[in-house]
Amino acid sequence: MVHLEPAPARKKATSMQRRQFLVTAIATTALLAAVPAMAQEPLSLKIGTTVEPRSFDPAQAQEGTQIPYYQAVYDTLLLREPDGSLSPMLATQWSYDDSFTTLTLTLRDDVTFSDGTTFDADDVVASFAHFAQANGPQVNTVSSVKAVNAVSPTEVVIELKEPDPAFLIYLSNAAGFMASSESLGTESLVTTPVGSGPYLLDKDGTTVGSRYHFVRNEAYWGRKLPYDEVDFLVLSDETARLNALRSGQVNTAIMSSAAAGAEAAKAGFTLVPNESDWHGLTFFDRAGTLNPALGDVRVRQAVNYALDRHLLLESFELGQGSVTDQIWGKASLGFVPELDEYYAYDPDRARALLAEAGYGNGLKLTIPVTTIFDDATLVAVQQMLLDVGIEAEYQEIPLADFFGELRSGKQGMTYMWFFQPTDWQLINQFIAPDATWNVFDSSDDVIPGLMDKVQAGSDDDRRVAAQELNRHIVEQAWFAPLYRVVKQLFVDDKTTVVPQAEQAAPSIYNYAPAS
Amino acid sequence: MISFLARRLISSIVLVLAVSFVGFVLLSLASGDTAQNMLGQNATQQQIDTKNVELGLDKPILTRYVVWLSAVAQGDFGRSWFTGENVIQSLATRLPVTLSLVTGVMIFASIIAFSLGSFAAIRRGKVDRVVQVFSALGFGMPGFLVALFLVTIFSIQLGWFPATGYVPPQVSPGGWLSTVALPVIALSVNTIAGVTQQVRSAVAETLELDYIRTLRSRGLPERVIIMKHVLRNAATPALTVLALQFVGLLGGAVVIESIFALPGLGTMAVTYTERGDVPVIMGLIVLTVLIVVVVNLLVDLAVGWLNPKARIE
Repeated sequence: MVHLEPAPARKKATSMQRRQFLVTAIATTALLAAVPAMAQEPLSLKIGTTVEPRSFDPAQAQEGTQIPYYQAVYDTLLLREPDGSLSPMLATQWSYDDSFTTLTLTLRDDVTFSDGTTFDADDVVASFAHFAQANGPQVNTVSSVKAVNAVSPTEVVIELKEPDPAFLIYLSNAAGFMASSESLGTESLVTTPVGSGPYLLDKDGTTVGSRYHFVRNEAYWGRKLPYDEVDFLVLSDETARLNALRSGQVNTAIMSSAAAGAEAAKAGFTLVPNESDWHGLTFFDRAGTLNPALGDVRVRQAVNYALDRHLLLESFELGQGSVTDQIWGKASLGFVPELDEYYAYDPDRARALLAEAGYGNGLKLTIPVTTIFDDATLVAVQQMLLDVGIEAEYQEIPLADFFGELRSGKQGMTYMWFFQPTDWQLINQFIAPDATWNVFDSSDDVIPGLMDKVQAGSDDDRRVAAQELNRHIVEQAWFAPLYRVVKQLFVDDKTTVVPQAEQAAPSIYNYAPAS
Repeated sequence: MISFLARRLISSIVLVLAVSFVGFVLLSLASGDTAQNMLGQNATQQQIDTKNVELGLDKPILTRYVVWLSAVAQGDFGRSWFTGENVIQSLATRLPVTLSLVTGVMIFASIIAFSLGSFAAIRRGKVDRVVQVFSALGFGMPGFLVALFLVTIFSIQLGWFPATGYVPPQVSPGGWLSTVALPVIALSVNTIAGVTQQVRSAVAETLELDYIRTLRSRGLPERVIIMKHVLRNAATPALTVLALQFVGLLGGAVVIESIFALPGLGTMAVTYTERGDVPVIMGLIVLTVLIVVVVNLLVDLAVGWLNPKARIE
């Protein structure tokens, strides 16, 4: 019998060589297979959102959480940077005359719409005319416009009826979206956007009300955004949003409640904090027409002193936010940090003020509320008010009727969540005698003068006047805010995003892949 | 048969008219300030008034109904006040989602319920008791809890199914199946429990009847007796329950649709009613009535086929 014993060293070397060869072969094959796949795989951003766009007609554009849909397909005249400053976009330069009523815009000459037509001054004139005529949600942002004239294909002059310090901001929002003039007023614009934005709506990949798929506009004139595709998944249910985030179906989503936010944080997602809303009480009847007690500033101040804001924030928002006594947001000119704790919790002071005002034996207030508010918070507020002798009765109103009811003049105050816009927008929504939420047209000797300075003053004067106005409103206790809440915006580890100042959701330009 | 179908057609038209009128009136009275909702909380009164005129909301309800009905008679269901989308197109997008769910539930639940119910009724004893206990548990188990459990295990932890969304079958049959599988299972639990009990009782009762004894005495195999005679008789009440479940699920799947973010008719009904989008909701009402009519007709025909006595009546 012949035993054939191979040399052990040689055998070992062969085995190693084989293994090395095998590993190299597998790695090479995998690499070769992966490279084309990697090259072909489009970089995609998936956003879990709560709302669908109402229409792709830019005149119907909503701001806030809906604006990224429109930013994907339309460019604005000006670009709002994440910190709120303005940069060129379709307009490369802009300047006001000395009276701040004539605005001259210089336009780009290298922009093409998705229908192949070229952008010029006539499109700006047509877009403004359409925006004003279509009575969309943001039509009041162009109410100060007297005329829009095309001086040349690249120059437009906008005349205003009066100075409007927020007008440049409007040009970076819904009023600034430019569509091809040939598409304006057509029925197809509702479902087929015709803009010059960084992406194109892929209708085949879109299921209305569920998923909106955008693909890169290869002919885009501007800065190339990092993603080849953007998907918006409409997930109105918070559990669905959380599940989609946890299962990797979306890269980012906003949670509605701090509790869901805590779940997302626990699952390893990164919170990108941004305070854009305030919650609290608003007094409408500051002259005491419906309830004489509300006409007494001491009563309104007593309500402010009665609220333990820190406890409410900790208990119901899990500390996600900042207590505040002012309605001006952090990014606004009029924000005054020390006003956040102007009415520090002091129930004894509240009782004393009520006694001083003649309500030492108690006071009844009716507060309209609706289904979207957190019941536990409302009960706690009610208990705190009762503790100082104010019996607050909540009046339940269906959501569909709520805003109409508040503005009907039948309610003296309300509990509400409000967005914190820029100074002049805020003044026109809450402070001016004809402001939407100044239901009883409240005013006094101080307010009009300060408003004038905010409207037509220099930048420094505007800041000083806005802060004075803010302080005056807090002292007069027009409101009893509780806190600014942190928007529970979460991203996965593949995504980064910069929050957008004074906007409920980040702009489409603010997302990028994590390095 | 023709006169039966003609009578059904006439009663359907009357039903559509009556339900649409009642629906229109209720919707108009209950939908609150639609213009305000469309324009947002900061809209001015002038904007709201202009929008009301644009929508025709400044006219009396009866006039608005007549205008709507005349347009519908010409095949024009209008456009959504909120999204501008054509109502027919909007319904056509969402109907397949809900039909996928409801049909899936009907098929899945029927197979399971008929198997379990018959098995329990034939075997009796311990098997019967176990099936009855599980039926009771299934009946009391909220569908949304089942849904959350399924998502947590099969979507988030195992990654086998997508947690949310819907893929149309024409885009990807596999994708469609993966998006409807978990919702169908979640929705089926209650249906299976209800129908299992029905089938069990009906099979048990039928097995006691004289003619079954006669068939047995004639030496027919038990399998033939069960499949051909017992199940056929027992199917009628189960079919009626399934038809009721089908109709209920058309709008009742809203919680499951929300959890899985499925763009079906249930979520549509809730969202658009809250908004006060009259054209869409009216289209949905008409569609639902038509589906109910068709389902009832099919059930009547099926019952007639299963039970000749019902046909004669």
